[in-house]
Amino acid sequence: MAELLRMTNISKRFGSFYANKNVNLEVERGEVHTLLGENGAGKSTLMNVLIGLYQPTEGTISINGKEVRIASPADAVAQGIGMVHQHFMLIENMTGLENIILGDKRHKSLMLQKADDRKTVEELMERYGLEIDLDERVGEMSIGMQQRVEIMKVLFRGAELLILDEPTAVLTDLEVQGLFDIMNSLTSEGKSIIFISHKMREVMQISDRVTVLRRGESVETVRVADTTEQELADLMIGQKFTESVYEKVEEAGAPELTLKNVSYHPEVKHGGLKDVSLTIHRGEILGVAGIDGNGQTPLAELVTGLISPESGEVTGPDGAKIALFSPEAFIGAGVGNIPEDRNKMGLVGDMTVAENLVLKQTTSDRFSSGHGAWLKMGAIAEFAEEKRQENDIRCTSVNQTARSLSGGNQQKVILARELDGAPTLLVAVYPTRGLDIGATEFIHKQIVAQRDAGCAVLLISADFDEVLKLSDRIVVLFEGEIMGTYPGANPPIKEISLAMAGK
Amino acid sequence: MTKSKHTLSAEERREKTLMVLTPVASVLLALIVGAIIIACLGKNPLQGYAALLQGSLGDLPKIGKTLERACPLIFTGLAAVFAYKCGVFNLGGEGQFIMGGCATALTVFGLGLTGPAALALGLIAGIVVGGIWGLLPGIMKITRGLNEMITTIMLNYVAMYFMEFVFKNLFSDQGLPKTPAIPKDGRLPELLSAHIGVLMAIILGIVIWYVLFRTSFGFKIRATGMNQTAARVNGFPVRRLVLLSFVISGAIAGMGGSIELLGKAPYRLADGFGSGFGFDGVAIALIAQLNPIAAIVVAILFGILSTGGTMMQSVIGVPTAIIDITRGLIIIFAVAGMAMIKLPAIKAFIASIGSKSKKVEANA
Repeated sequence: MAELLRMTNISKRFGSFYANKNVNLEVERGEVHTLLGENGAGKSTLMNVLIGLYQPTEGTISINGKEVRIASPADAVAQGIGMVHQHFMLIENMTGLENIILGDKRHKSLMLQKADDRKTVEELMERYGLEIDLDERVGEMSIGMQQRVEIMKVLFRGAELLILDEPTAVLTDLEVQGLFDIMNSLTSEGKSIIFISHKMREVMQISDRVTVLRRGESVETVRVADTTEQELADLMIGQKFTESVYEKVEEAGAPELTLKNVSYHPEVKHGGLKDVSLTIHRGEILGVAGIDGNGQTPLAELVTGLISPESGEVTGPDGAKIALFSPEAFIGAGVGNIPEDRNKMGLVGDMTVAENLVLKQTTSDRFSSGHGAWLKMGAIAEFAEEKRQENDIRCTSVNQTARSLSGGNQQKVILARELDGAPTLLVAVYPTRGLDIGATEFIHKQIVAQRDAGCAVLLISADFDEVLKLSDRIVVLFEGEIMGTYPGANPPIKEISLAMAGK
Repeated sequence: MTKSKHTLSAEERREKTLMVLTPVASVLLALIVGAIIIACLGKNPLQGYAALLQGSLGDLPKIGKTLERACPLIFTGLAAVFAYKCGVFNLGGEGQFIMGGCATALTVFGLGLTGPAALALGLIAGIVVGGIWGLLPGIMKITRGLNEMITTIMLNYVAMYFMEFVFKNLFSDQGLPKTPAIPKDGRLPELLSAHIGVLMAIILGIVIWYVLFRTSFGFKIRATGMNQTAARVNGFPVRRLVLLSFVISGAIAGMGGSIELLGKAPYRLADGFGSGFGFDGVAIALIAQLNPIAAIVVAILFGILSTGGTMMQSVIGVPTAIIDITRGLIIIFAVAGMAMIKLPAIKAFIASIGSKSKKVEANA
């Protein structure tokens, strides 16, 4: 088979951080080539380089053996590269056909040439077995058909190489099969596909070859026929650093929070929970591993009282069933929360650092008088200054807005607030996302210190290394279900990584 | 450089200065454009502006008149400030103001009250009914998710036609389209040539500032307004706070309507009562950048333009429309200016000026 695309020694640097380093990728005509890697392995960066959103720091791209420069997404389209994004870029109020032809400039006419374009599109539909109702508004289409509209958009612009970014994440099993049929008919007609997925089963089923990325570097390219799921998982995870930085606890304390057969929108694979049972003990860090979007968000919302389960029950430390799910009630019961999105959920960006530090305690006797009516400005300022020094929050003043702080310092503000008054349960969701090493270390230390003080900790993170490093016990979430529970000391990494991929 | 406890970063200080400077610059710029228009009409703008000041602040009675003119705007401005602080876009200040006036009229005439009773009960009725008029869109928003910008505007019309029903049908003054005047002994007393409603408005502004910035209730209102999600995650009763801010905002506007009726000639409801005050209040709140104290100042400025404009018309013979244009320009410049200083390019430009001037200082 002839080579279509070759990316040679691609590096992309942001500041001092290499998102891609000497990555090599070669795609042949008529193949499905999978890019496999953990979160943050550099897949998105590489694809953004390919479609012209980023310029590589080093390295070359050639198409059909000819070196090209892709300076913009328009260049990429001209070179026959088309991307189907995970989140569709469609206009819901327009029909399928209108979305497909939107912005295309093949006609040198001021008028839309809908009839002409419709013929072209219908031919393509016929040829590749893409079923689309061209006159239906996109907003009324099924997700599967919306995706076919996206694929058709790319084909209509003459793409030879299609990039499908986690295309199965939003589909039902039946729709996945339909997508695979389309992919097969595309490749049999000589088109090439770069397929991005985390799901081992699908990767094995549909790909011809797999290139594994790890920490921004391409590790190896293998033929699917010559490999096994286990081998791919090994390549993807690599040699994990399992030597314990923090001592792991094997004997945990009494249960603090227990979930029994809890479900929340179980029909939604990537935003629901299905029959989840787990217990968080005092003096233990329970780590939840899993690829992003497999039920982590509803789990975090459930244990902080933001949502209530549809079925199943949640019991507190005394074994009594929790009936009232509200943030107030959970905070009152001593639940500390380091939320997923610090800017949206954790901080009020336009308020000052000091105000954010007392966000949860404005009616406490400590910071207000007259049964929570008047604020004690002096006490608040003093407290804020104390927390600033204690947690090394870098700001010129605690009267600065929280928005103006760096991510690490924002997270320190949240941490200082949540740990004040010693929570009985600490829920930490992606606590170090986007932070530098120093801030990450600080936050890890604080979390472990809470555990040692007897707090029950639920750590939810898409960063597998973080889960391995901190957890005393590990559960794996996949499509809203618990795939298994594993020890935190000497964890069976291979088993866990397969569980994360749904195996 | 030494770091003291409460200093702000240079960038933040610069931003704060700009936030104050922008409205001031907008007023000056609008006055300059106004002057150009006056000059184009062949009149002397300086003479015009002198007349404007003379007519609005020339002597004590004139100052009193200006303050009375500003009084309803202070109320609707504060109503808007309070609602926006909680993230509620109450555009119904006018309706709430009118309903406050109607409630006062109905209480006083309906019960045949005179003296302090008319004053006290009329005022309370105005505040309560204004609050209820704010509660309605609040309920619609938190139970059905209806956009309050639309519902409050619609309720303005309901209030307007209800008032017409009051002054035409219920308590018409001898068949004329106006209610009788509030009995003399039931009116607000005067203090230094302005009714004491003005003083009440100013005190209310200070109270609102205090509530917003010095109480835990105000803290929660502000947090909810700036980031509702974070407020919810951190355990604030967001729905209750939003509903309360609707009610309080409505009550403030209603109190304004009541005071307008009880304090200012002709002491009666008639066509045009409260007209335009709601939207002026919104503009005032925006120019004041949601600071209650600043809202008072801006409302008084609007009062100066209104009363002074009439004098300007009679002295140099330009239409009062010039003043309306100037007022409109202040709003446009202030809002556009505020949006502009938030643009990254402008920010960088200002920062470069700031650092340059600092270098100059250092060299000096």
